Amino acid sequence: MSFDRPKELLKPVRRRFIYLSFVVAILIDLLPLPVDTALWLPDFIALLILYWVINQPRRVSVGTAFTLGIIADVASTGMFGQHALAYSITSYLALLRQRQLIMFNLGQQTLSVLALMLANQAIMVATRMATGSAFVGWSYFLPPLTGAILWPLLTKLLLLPYRSHKV
Amino acid sequence: MDFANNPSFIRQGLSPGTRLAICVALSVALLIGDSQYGLMEYTRQGMSVLFYPLQRAINFPLVAARRIDDFLTTQSTLQAENEVLRRQQMVLLARVQRLESAEHDFESLRTLNQLKSVRSDSASLAEILYTGRDPFSYKIIIDKGQDTQLHAGQPVVDDRGLIGQITRVQPLTAEVTLITDKTLMVPVMIQRTGLRAILYGYGGGVEARYLPIHADVRPGDLMVTSGIDGLYPEGVPVAFVTRVERNPDSAFIRVTSMPTAGVQKGRYVLVLKEKTSVPARPVDPAAPPPKKGKTPSDDPTE
Repeated sequence: MSFDRPKELLKPVRRRFIYLSFVVAILIDLLPLPVDTALWLPDFIALLILYWVINQPRRVSVGTAFTLGIIADVASTGMFGQHALAYSITSYLALLRQRQLIMFNLGQQTLSVLALMLANQAIMVATRMATGSAFVGWSYFLPPLTGAILWPLLTKLLLLPYRSHKV
Repeated sequence: MDFANNPSFIRQGLSPGTRLAICVALSVALLIGDSQYGLMEYTRQGMSVLFYPLQRAINFPLVAARRIDDFLTTQSTLQAENEVLRRQQMVLLARVQRLESAEHDFESLRTLNQLKSVRSDSASLAEILYTGRDPFSYKIIIDKGQDTQLHAGQPVVDDRGLIGQITRVQPLTAEVTLITDKTLMVPVMIQRTGLRAILYGYGGGVEARYLPIHADVRPGDLMVTSGIDGLYPEGVPVAFVTRVERNPDSAFIRVTSMPTAGVQKGRYVLVLKEKTSVPARPVDPAAPPPKKGKTPSDDPTE
């Protein structure tokens, strides 16, 4: 498996496709899964935000991340503003280095995504602890790992509809 | 070639830094508003109504699979189950008859002793929609809400014992905080001895705190709700004592316990009515207690 970015010509990404991917991520968040899966299931909304911020920075930016964060807050029965804060800061960090991240191959990108997702979790832990919750343990930092492992797969999957086969 | 990545020659709205500043300020305002003042309840309710069809839609394949599974059970399993249920019903009926006579005696004793009876039997069945994916809190969402007159504070049980308490009611759904949540405390009584204690959730489990070192607690003891809080009906099983540690260093014993109910399992829960007709609390005397040197005639409260 080559970790190089596809060098082929891609069709322009439709706005509809971006929205659809976010809806799917929210649906995954609402799935009635057993409690234990929350220990390792990655935060798909955050992963997708990172993907679109890196690949389509003009369409998906800090504002979109914030809006999705509010939705995630309600869906996860957490506190208002917790996901919103984490997503906006993380997407801004990704946006700062977007020119660099887009040139990386998939292996390098995976490592950067891991760091960004860890930062995301760290912000959430910090907000919860600031509002009076106890530390939940280091297992809270496991989902970013699985998320980073899934990154190459996610990239290939989201590129599938935009390969122009007729060139 | 990534066209979307090429720099734009036209300035496109605010710079990312400004956007971040606005979003962070908004998030922090929301966080403070929600955690300190509870301002966001109406917004949350509105959004939960929008989410309801989504939740239903995502639940649909699972529900359909269950239905099909129910439909395809063979006759022999049904017959066997029927047999078991019938036998169980016989046993339960016999028990109910005995209970009824005991209850009758109990009621008459209560009236003899001029005690108010506090019983409420009505309950409504609800299905668990999904579990909150927030690892900081232990909550479940059930499919009944304001539409069936639920309100915050009602206890929630399953067939084995207490699960938790409704903490937030939305138009079509309600949020149940489980007894394992850090913010929930249940006044309990050890059934064997009648010793009262308070059961604290600590995130994933429950423990009884502040029991004196000489308290009579043994592993295997059942803790039931004591009913002195005016909220939970008395006698609902809550947890089993699994281990008792007496540490000479501390003034209290350490009681580890396990909930009797399937707090993290199961599909259906029962929402009970709160205890009604709780007498009003005695009013605190407004004046501080008289000092020693004072004569009783000076004091207007006496």
